[in-house]
Amino acid sequence: MRPVIRIAIDKIFTVVAGASVVCLCLVLAGLLGPMLWRGGSAVVFKGTVEFRKMQLMLFGRGDEEKIAAESKQAEISRAKIYSTIEKLKGGVDSEALIDKARQIYRQFGNDLRQTDKPAEEVAELRLVTKQIRDRLESAFASSNTAEVNESLAYILSFKDDQRFKNTTAAGLIGLAEQYSKDVHGINLAERQKYYQELRQVEEILIELLGPAPGSATPALMMNRFGATRWDLAQKLFNRLFWYEEWVKQGPEQPLVRRLTPRSQRFAGTEIEGLFIYIQQSLPEMLKPRPTFYWQYFIDDSTPGHYFGGVGPEILGTLLLTLLAMLFVVPFGVISAAYLVECASDNLAIRIIRMSINTLAGVPSIVFGLFGLAFFVLFFLPMFGAPSKGCILAASLTLAVLTLPVMIRASEEAIRAVPQTYKEASLALGASRFRTFVKVTLPAALPGILTGIILSLSRVAGETAPVLFTGAVALGPLPKSIFDPTRTLSYGSYDMAVGDKLAAMVPHNQFGMVVTLVLLILCLNTAAIIIRSRVFRKLAGH
Amino acid sequence: MTEMRLLQSARGEHGRTVKQKRIEPIMKENMRENIQQNGQTAQCACPIISSNDFSFYYGTTMGVKNITMNINPCSVTAIIGPSGCGKSTFIRSINRMNDLIPGVRTEGKLVVDGQNIYDKRVNLVNLRQQVGMVFQKPNPFPKSIFDNVAYGPRLQGITNRTALDEIIGKSLKASALWEEMKDNLKKSALALSGGQQQRLCIARALATRPRVLLMDEPCSALDPLATGKIEDLISQLKDNYTIVIVTHNMQQAARVSEMTAFFCLGELIEYDVTSKIFENPFNKKTEDYITGRFG
Repeated sequence: MRPVIRIAIDKIFTVVAGASVVCLCLVLAGLLGPMLWRGGSAVVFKGTVEFRKMQLMLFGRGDEEKIAAESKQAEISRAKIYSTIEKLKGGVDSEALIDKARQIYRQFGNDLRQTDKPAEEVAELRLVTKQIRDRLESAFASSNTAEVNESLAYILSFKDDQRFKNTTAAGLIGLAEQYSKDVHGINLAERQKYYQELRQVEEILIELLGPAPGSATPALMMNRFGATRWDLAQKLFNRLFWYEEWVKQGPEQPLVRRLTPRSQRFAGTEIEGLFIYIQQSLPEMLKPRPTFYWQYFIDDSTPGHYFGGVGPEILGTLLLTLLAMLFVVPFGVISAAYLVECASDNLAIRIIRMSINTLAGVPSIVFGLFGLAFFVLFFLPMFGAPSKGCILAASLTLAVLTLPVMIRASEEAIRAVPQTYKEASLALGASRFRTFVKVTLPAALPGILTGIILSLSRVAGETAPVLFTGAVALGPLPKSIFDPTRTLSYGSYDMAVGDKLAAMVPHNQFGMVVTLVLLILCLNTAAIIIRSRVFRKLAGH
Repeated sequence: MTEMRLLQSARGEHGRTVKQKRIEPIMKENMRENIQQNGQTAQCACPIISSNDFSFYYGTTMGVKNITMNINPCSVTAIIGPSGCGKSTFIRSINRMNDLIPGVRTEGKLVVDGQNIYDKRVNLVNLRQQVGMVFQKPNPFPKSIFDNVAYGPRLQGITNRTALDEIIGKSLKASALWEEMKDNLKKSALALSGGQQQRLCIARALATRPRVLLMDEPCSALDPLATGKIEDLISQLKDNYTIVIVTHNMQQAARVSEMTAFFCLGELIEYDVTSKIFENPFNKKTEDYITGRFG
């Protein structure tokens, strides 16, 4: 071959190799970049006043007075929303109005029983009030304007009746008066529709701004605070602003999503203008501010990960990983030592070797079921522990899962120790055990550490083996190794298959995944540093 | 020489049997006289290594066949011969290093220090402490110089720091490393040059206070300067140790040894005083090999 061609081929090879490395880096960046970006938004984001309230109430962080002043300011701009809604509700919420009328009537009946008025008068009053109540109810429920007006006129005719002055029954007349004002300008035929849509609006408002002032603390933790993050607030606002419906375009055609401004559906009412107001004053109502929420890595979370961080998940993952390593490293190294140093090449050993190789390729879900059948249902009860998923069972399952990896890596490492080391030690009168412990093992340590790194990464990220053996999505922190724990891998799996709620907080899912990657990176870096130190010590620099 | 004496006294201190201590000086003088006066094979009255019709098999393949030779205490015996002639097999049989290979088998007797070492009751640990070995390639452990030399004594249960220091000092002095190494005993042995590493291996072997030192081509991986140093070392050590050396370098055999054995195809062809082997060999094969006609 001519030298020119040889040089050219060399250069082409260099270029191709370099390009492939660059491609690999780009792919990696393309994969990790968006994930890091989205996961990072769990820590760095625009926090709203609701976020600061949540931090104060759940974790006791922040300046109480400052936050109180801030939420007071926010409430001033929010007040308009609630008053407008309240007004419309007065006209359309017939159920609530009927309830109110019945309550007043009952109260009035009780009052009557305790008065000293003559029996006939009481009976008559009762009859009249009953009539008023019935007419009021029909007015509330009716969608016929004429009928409503007639009923209201009838009731209002009792306005100056002396018998009802200063009694509870006056409340009924008051209701009628209020209603006649509220109902003005409302298309009564549409009342039911308005009522339902108003309920929707209120639900979204609870998610966006938190519970309405004056209402009782909601039982659901996620309803206690509004949108804690600005991106979530905008998402919720879009849901508030746009009415979503699925319309049929024709027979045999797929449904099509159509968005219409919600204000259109409230056309003609005072609420119509409310949506524009919310859009304009949303920043004032929520006061978003850039927030660095590093406590994400230590905080506990509310059920469903709506608020809070991934502290228990990190703890659980670390616990499981380190415990599994504690089981797998001694077993793996001893097994490898036996296979290399002691085992002769017979059929039994060959079968064992083949089994180990096969085990390395078994899908992890199989190990999960094995863990359930063996550790949870058989092993734990044998020692009197409760037969439920727990850290011990999960870490043992993970240890079994990664044992082949560990054995193979250790075996290679031990085999790679030069025979001359062993010979030298034996020639000095050392026993085989002593030779292994003092010479072979230290020399094989870098290779064994490589095995540990490989197993560590695998163990920390596995979901399927812990699915049945000790991982939970929610629950208290584990108190002992006989309690189940949350883990990052299972947590992100659970959020991926979880309900709509999880879809509202995607930053959590990405946050968990990125945390897992970072955690493995940290553990690996630690192991690699140890390995390089051992290596340097062995090489004598 | 003062160092040698120190070493000898140290060996006494550390529990050598009285018998050995008594025998050594006597043998040394007797043997020397024998060799020098008679100029003959010098079958000394009490050889330290005595091989009697010894054969060694790797499975069915024969390693060495019917070897009968006696090696005198405190001498240097060189074993020469073409590749694959069983030199290494024989020397490795003397401390049973061949036991590592599965399926080996022996016949005949190989007596070291009055005991047949292929007897079932032999304690391998004791045997290997008595019979040290230096390998073809320097093979220090990836530890510090100190730890390398201290490995043997520690195996014997010596953990006292002063005692260890003493032994290590003596071993390093005996292997002519002390002056170079005394200031950096903590340095990794792998950072040393090849020649230094090999001398360290000798020091390490000496630290267990053996009676016999087996050297399996100790200089084949070294340059001439380092080889020269090792040879000097051997000639110093022979006052106190019985040395058996396998070598391909016939000049080296002629320089360092008193007795030379010539092996060929697993058999001992000729065993005699070195000068006789090289100047006036009895066997034709020996002559061919030495003059380079063998091939």
